[in-house]
Parts: sequence; structure tokens; C-alpha cells
Amino acid sequence: MTIMVPRKHGDASDGMVGGRLSRFEGNLKVTGAATYALEYPTEGVVHAVLVQSTIAAGKVVAVDISRASAMPGVLLVLTPEDDLGLRAAGDWAGTAPKDEAYYPLPRNVQFNGQSIAAVIAESREQAAEAARLITVSYEETASVKDLEDPAAGEGKMMGNLTVGWGDAEAALAASDVTIEAEYRTPREYHVAMEPHGLIARWEGDQLTIWEPSQWSHGMARMYAEWFSLPLENVRIISPFIGGGFGSKGQPLAFGAVAVAAAKKLGRPVKLAVTRPQNFTSYGGRAATRQKIALGATKDGILQAIVHRGYSETSVYADYAEQTGAATPVLYKVENYSSEHRIVPVNTVTPGALRGPGKNPSSYGIESAMEELAYALGMDPLELRLKNYADHDYQSGKPWSTRRLREALTEGAAAFGWEKRSHEPRSMRDGNTLIGWGIGCGTFPVIRAPSEAMIRILKNGRVEVVSGSIDMGQGTYTILAQTASEALGVPVDQIDVLLGDSRLPGSAIAGGSMLAGSITGAVHKTAVAARDELIGLALSEAGSPFRDTGANTLSLAAGRVSLPRDDGPSLSLAELMTALGRDTLEIRRNTLSDDAQTAEDQRRAWTTMAKVMGPTMGEFSMHSWCAHFAEVRVDEDFGTVRVSRMVSAFDCGRLYNPKMVESQWRGGIIMGVGQALLEEGIVDARNGRTINNNVGDYLVPTNSDIPDLQVISVGVPDLNASALGGKGVGEVGIVGVAPAIANAVFHATGKRVRDLPITLEKLI
Amino acid sequence: MTRTIHLNLDINGRAHALDVEPRVTLLDALRDHLQMTGTKKGCDQGQCGACTCHVDGRRVLSCLTLAAQVEGRQVNTIEGIAGEDGTLHAVQAAFLEHDAFQCGYCTPGQIMSAVACIREGHAGSDAEIREYMSGNLCRCGAYNSIVAAVREAAEAVNTPVRETAEVA
Repeated sequence: MTIMVPRKHGDASDGMVGGRLSRFEGNLKVTGAATYALEYPTEGVVHAVLVQSTIAAGKVVAVDISRASAMPGVLLVLTPEDDLGLRAAGDWAGTAPKDEAYYPLPRNVQFNGQSIAAVIAESREQAAEAARLITVSYEETASVKDLEDPAAGEGKMMGNLTVGWGDAEAALAASDVTIEAEYRTPREYHVAMEPHGLIARWEGDQLTIWEPSQWSHGMARMYAEWFSLPLENVRIISPFIGGGFGSKGQPLAFGAVAVAAAKKLGRPVKLAVTRPQNFTSYGGRAATRQKIALGATKDGILQAIVHRGYSETSVYADYAEQTGAATPVLYKVENYSSEHRIVPVNTVTPGALRGPGKNPSSYGIESAMEELAYALGMDPLELRLKNYADHDYQSGKPWSTRRLREALTEGAAAFGWEKRSHEPRSMRDGNTLIGWGIGCGTFPVIRAPSEAMIRILKNGRVEVVSGSIDMGQGTYTILAQTASEALGVPVDQIDVLLGDSRLPGSAIAGGSMLAGSITGAVHKTAVAARDELIGLALSEAGSPFRDTGANTLSLAAGRVSLPRDDGPSLSLAELMTALGRDTLEIRRNTLSDDAQTAEDQRRAWTTMAKVMGPTMGEFSMHSWCAHFAEVRVDEDFGTVRVSRMVSAFDCGRLYNPKMVESQWRGGIIMGVGQALLEEGIVDARNGRTINNNVGDYLVPTNSDIPDLQVISVGVPDLNASALGGKGVGEVGIVGVAPAIANAVFHATGKRVRDLPITLEKLI
Repeated sequence: MTRTIHLNLDINGRAHALDVEPRVTLLDALRDHLQMTGTKKGCDQGQCGACTCHVDGRRVLSCLTLAAQVEGRQVNTIEGIAGEDGTLHAVQAAFLEHDAFQCGYCTPGQIMSAVACIREGHAGSDAEIREYMSGNLCRCGAYNSIVAAVREAAEAVNTPVRETAEVA
């Protein structure tokens, strides 16, 4: 647990919700003092190194550990021969675990790069060298390398993702103008700069794990289930996370290995997953394919959308990267049909990566809409505005707030869209073709109950305490601002404690649900703390306010005073002394009054059971955005540079615009990578991820990225969250890739329907 | 048997003695043996820049540098950039002001690169800053703000020559 001390910048209003306060924990990060998981000093720690499979499917027949075991410093070698005594854990949703054993180092290999052994030694260097000396004999079986493998079948229809209304096929057949195309996205990876890993330490039956976590309570629960421990015996500590993007929300096989090794050895174990091993230790975004047919009238009124998509999953779990996630909510359409299948291949199970579902889905529909615009000879902006959805046609519900029209028009104005010449290849600068494109994005408002604690200390400092996490979104900062505003205490008098499963429960930092959920809990708690403090000041012996006859007090700028400002005025420290209190501790949650039992709370904090989707109330609630991209393409070499972008967002109220703009730009940059660079390449011979490092799996560098102009067009949405915000983290990436693909078409006249857009596809 | 060697390292102007295996990198020596964990490990193969330190004033990737190689040389890390009294270096202050980071993991490497980039005289324009800061990956995508921070810090630092003397 780390206590953050704020660094003050700008004027006092920065401390309020909506102010541009600099990053609360920033001082620790720029001085190197922020402590990430593998950096905790632990007495007697030993080091584990993983050994991963080199075949796509089969059985481990034998593991020769003789040479490894004989190496200096080696303490333990774990292989499929070792029964680690683990039990299966339940899933995110909180479904009860299956009554079966769990083998994190399995005998049956299901993908290339699966962990099958581990070496634990006194030093990391010793463990790494010994790990290289392990030889594994396999009995190989048939495998499916990826979606292109002829052995990949039709897969499985996901009935829950079949969506339809009207009669899409008939309306399509009757349309004046139709287009149909297939769009493809490759495997993509999170590539958080902090690789995965953990330190595990047992003290008796108490387990402490330092591991980067997007969800400390949920992960603690799953570790507890693996090791058959009571939940309260497991503690996850994660005050700083070096990026997650969806990859750090659950414990993974290597975590089980490290914890089991620590138990066997009776010593703390540190396991650092190497950068190459990160590519197969958890899943990135699944490769997707989707066919879209659009039908419209001659004047561009959309008549039908028919969508058929599929994505890869592993051979041992069903994970759907929903290609139809954005398709039904972006436009007004009376006839709609969508299906999605999953096709098992021999890969680690794919996972959630920034904008899951919505992201590849938007690449499909937003590319298709521009193809339709060209088929109609219509400006793509005009086509989008013409088919603006007045309500959610999927749920039939009204939007809570939807400022996508403003995002399109204000974004277009800032970009200078009216200067566009419609014909492809009609804008150039010497040998450079210039193209402009639009891509719209959306992400649902997801909410979850959360809990918070406020502690007012004798010295007048206020602690905001939550088990939620900050992986760079700005949780520390916005919680300080929320408490400051609700309590009337300056932000530099506030400390924020996060990232520990022993602290009050919280929504996961995923699905863009944390900020809206946890600010609601902190706000509620801070208001209660203020009321409690004022109540004590008016009633307790020793308080100078007791006999003033006042029935309320004001708390502003950290001082408690009479509302008419003519009596005593005490700082929090002075008041706490007068009250004879060491601390005042207030804990509140946002669960409903009829769901406050211990079991209700356990389920709320450690599972997704209480999570609320975007249409669970009266409204359909989403964040929205419109991206405008300019690309410059070298006519001879086919190299594409994004030369400028304007992106306009409706994310409701912004708790801290400085932090929000950073997240939006971060999403956009990841989208630039997706459009032009990122592609997991699989060896068709053995299913190995070939480019499993950041020299070969390319993510954007500084010189790939131009100035990105971001604009907020949102208004507070009090249906979406207590303070009026909608999610900002996921939506930024959604729509970027199609904006760039559309710009590339405008520049070159070549429609690239499979990402990334690399030069060989253009020349 | 694993052999160890005795090293005397000059890090941020202070002498540090340690016994390590000859194969221990500067990065692991800092993080695992000296508990100076400000320098980050992002890839351990010279691709991401998170481990950037200065050796004799020049930026190096500490994951590709053996600890034994820097004996007798001057090593500077993120822990030695701020003033003794905690006053932030101009680059650190500019990173904070411009929100030039999110998760913070690449930040020490970015800052070490930025200090050197300015000193090298490669902060003359935004395009030049982008180019000379491209060895440091930031997956959170703080690049616009990093450019703004380096530009501002470069303006704050009067001459590159004086800067060298201060930091090294």
C-alpha cells in the first residue's frame, strides 16, 4: 500500500471534479519512486523461469530435467509430473468452480508457447540458464494453426450474439444500391510496457501476491479458489500497474506456478514472464473475419444491414471477439441481421484488448459505410448524418445521451472536411497522395457497484481508500478531486490509497466501468463523511459549535465554520482535537439496500455478477466518437503516414480533462498501430507466434504519431453515472482503424480490407 | 559453481560495491542487487527503451550492458536526476505538467532519453524530438505530451553544454 501525496499545479479550481489537476501520483512516476509488482524487496526471494511448449498440440511424454537440476543454484524444477494440488477456479461471472483439478503445467499441450515446466533457482540468471537445458519429448497430434489453416472448421454459432429485426435479407434484395465485402483483422497484442509477473509469499496459510492487477478483489478470489483458501487469506498488492489494456484482469497459469513453487519451497518466489513469453501466456485480441452487406436507397437511406462474422478462439475455451458489437448501434436501420461464430484454433484463449468487440466491429461497419458512400457518390460525412440513429434500434430504448451528430459536425469543422475533394486520388502533394477518412466509434456504459472508505485523521488529513486500481487512467487523481469537492477539503490535504485487495471492493478497471462506478462510491462516502463530521461538531461536548445554536455548518477550503461566517472557524485538525477523535472512518457502498449481506458484498467485489450493461435501465447508454484522419501515401513506395487526426468524443462529463485527453490519445495511437503496424504472425508449420517481441511485433513509436487534436462534445449524463461521466478508456481506439483505412482508399483508390495496411497491399 | 565478481560502481555520484555473477546486466544489477528499481525492464532485449540510463553522459540500454562493463564509468539513473532537495529536473517537471505519461512504466526511460536528447542538441524541432525519442516505446500513447514536454524542457535549459555539466 502506497500513500500518494499530491503535487499541486495551477489554480485551486484544479482540485474540483472537472479540473485539470496534474497526475496525483505523478511525482513518484517521474522520479522512479513508484513501485511496480516485481520491485518489492522480499527477504529470501528466489526466481522462477518458465519453459513453454514448442508444438501446437499433443502430449508431453517426458521431460528430462537431469541437466537443469544439476545446475548451480537450482532449487526446484516443476513439470507435468508434479501434482501441484490445485483446484479449478470459477470464472469472471462468478459461476461456481467446477469440482476438478487444475494443472497450470499440463501434460496435454493445446498451443505453441504454453507453459509446461518451470525452474526455480537462487538467481534469475541461474534459473534461465537451467531452463534452457530442459528437453521435452512430445507425442504430437493434429492441430489448427490459425483461421487460414484448411483444417479450421466452421466453428460454433454463438446463439447469444445472433441479433435481428425487420427482414434484412428481403430489404437488402429490394435495395437500389448494395455493397458487400469481407473485412479481416489479425491477432493483436496488448504489449503493456510492464511485462506480466508476480512475487508470491506464503506466511503460514496467508498468501501475499504482488502482481499487476486490473481487479485486485477478483484476482484474489480466483487465487483463493485455486489454492482452496478462504478469500481473506489471499492479498493482492498492486498500487501501480505498468499498463494493462485488458490483459491484467485475472490470474494466469504462471501465477499459479509461482504461488505453488513458493509453497513447495517455503520461500518467496519471483516470476518474471519474459517479453516473448508474454505473447502466449495470455491471449491478445482474436483474429476476426466479417462479411457485411449494406442496402440503401438511391439517395442514401440505409435499408438493411446483413452481418456475418467469426473470430478465433482456443481449443479449450469459448471466447468471442464480437464482430457485431458496434454494427447495430451506429446507424438507423429498420432491417438488421447479425450472426457470429467462433472457430477453435490452437492458440492461448484470446482475451479482452482495448475496445473488445466494438473495435473490430467498427472497422467492418465503418469501412462498409464508406464503400456505400462511394457506391452512391455521396460524401461519407453526409451519409453518416443522413442515417443518424434517433434511438437504439436494437433495444428499442431511447439514448441517454448521444452527441455523435455533434462529434461528426464539430470534428468535421475542426478538420476542415468541407475542403475535401470526393474522388479518390484527387488530393496530392507532389509525389504524395493525400487521403481523408472518417471512422465512428462507440463503447457501452457499463456500471458496477463499488465501495469506498474515507478516513479523517487527527492531523486533519483525509484518506480516500479503495481497492480499485490505477494503471494510468487517473484513478488516484479523480478520486482526490471527487473527495475534495464533496468534502470541501483542498486536494493537497487528501491522500489516496489504492491497489490492495484488503481495501474496500471495487469494479474492475475494465470495460471502461471503473471511473463512473468508483467516483460514485467515493462521492457517496465523502458526502456521508461530511455529514457525520458536521453532526459531531454540532453535538459533541468539546466542540465550539455545540452551543452556537446552528443547525448546520459549512465545510469549505478545509475549514469548518458557521454558515453565516461570524463564529468559530476550525481546521479539520483543530476540530478533530476538539472532538477528541483520532480518526473518523466512514465506509459506504453503492449496492442496493436489499443487497447488503456479506455474501452480496463478496459477490459484488469479486465477480461480475452485479455488473449492469448499457440497456439494463430505461435508456441505452454509450460513449461515442468520430475520428477524422489524414494520411499521406508515397505513390511509389506505398508507405502510409498518418499526418494529422481530429477526434471528437461524447463521453459525458469529464472528471479531469487532462487525464481524459491523455487516454483518448492513447486509444487513438493504439488504433494507428492496429491500422498500419500490428499483426501477430503465426508459423503455419507449428503454430508458433513468430514475431513475439517488440522489435518484430510493431507498436507505434513517437515518430509514427502526429499531433492528435481531441475535442469533447459531451454533456453530463446522470443516467450513466453519479457524476455524469461515461467511459473514456475503451472508446478512443474504436473507429480509428476504419478512419485510416478510409483515408488510404481516398488517397490511393485501393480498398484494403485486411489489417494492417502494409505497403505490399498498396503497391 | 557460479562465480561472482566484485564490482565498484559509480551510480549517481555515489560508490556502490556489489558481488554479482559476471553475466548480470547493469539493469538487473540496479533493480535486483542495488534496489534501485526506477530503471524499468520492458523487454530485456534492447527493443523498448524502458531501461535507458546514462553512462558517461550518453544514453545506453542497461539491459544490453553488463554491470561489469560500467566499472570505472559514471552511471546516471532516474533516481539521480532530481536535485538533492527533491527539486525536479526541468524534464521531470515538464513531464508532470504536460501529462507525458499514464502508467508510468516507460517514464524513467523516456526522461533519461529526453535529458540526453536535449543535451545532444536533438530537440530543435518537434520532428527532431519525435525522431530522437523514438527508441522509447510508450504503449499508453503519451507521445504528443512527451514531445511537448521535451520542447518545453529544452527551452528551459539554456545551453546544452551547461546541461551536461549539471547532470553528468
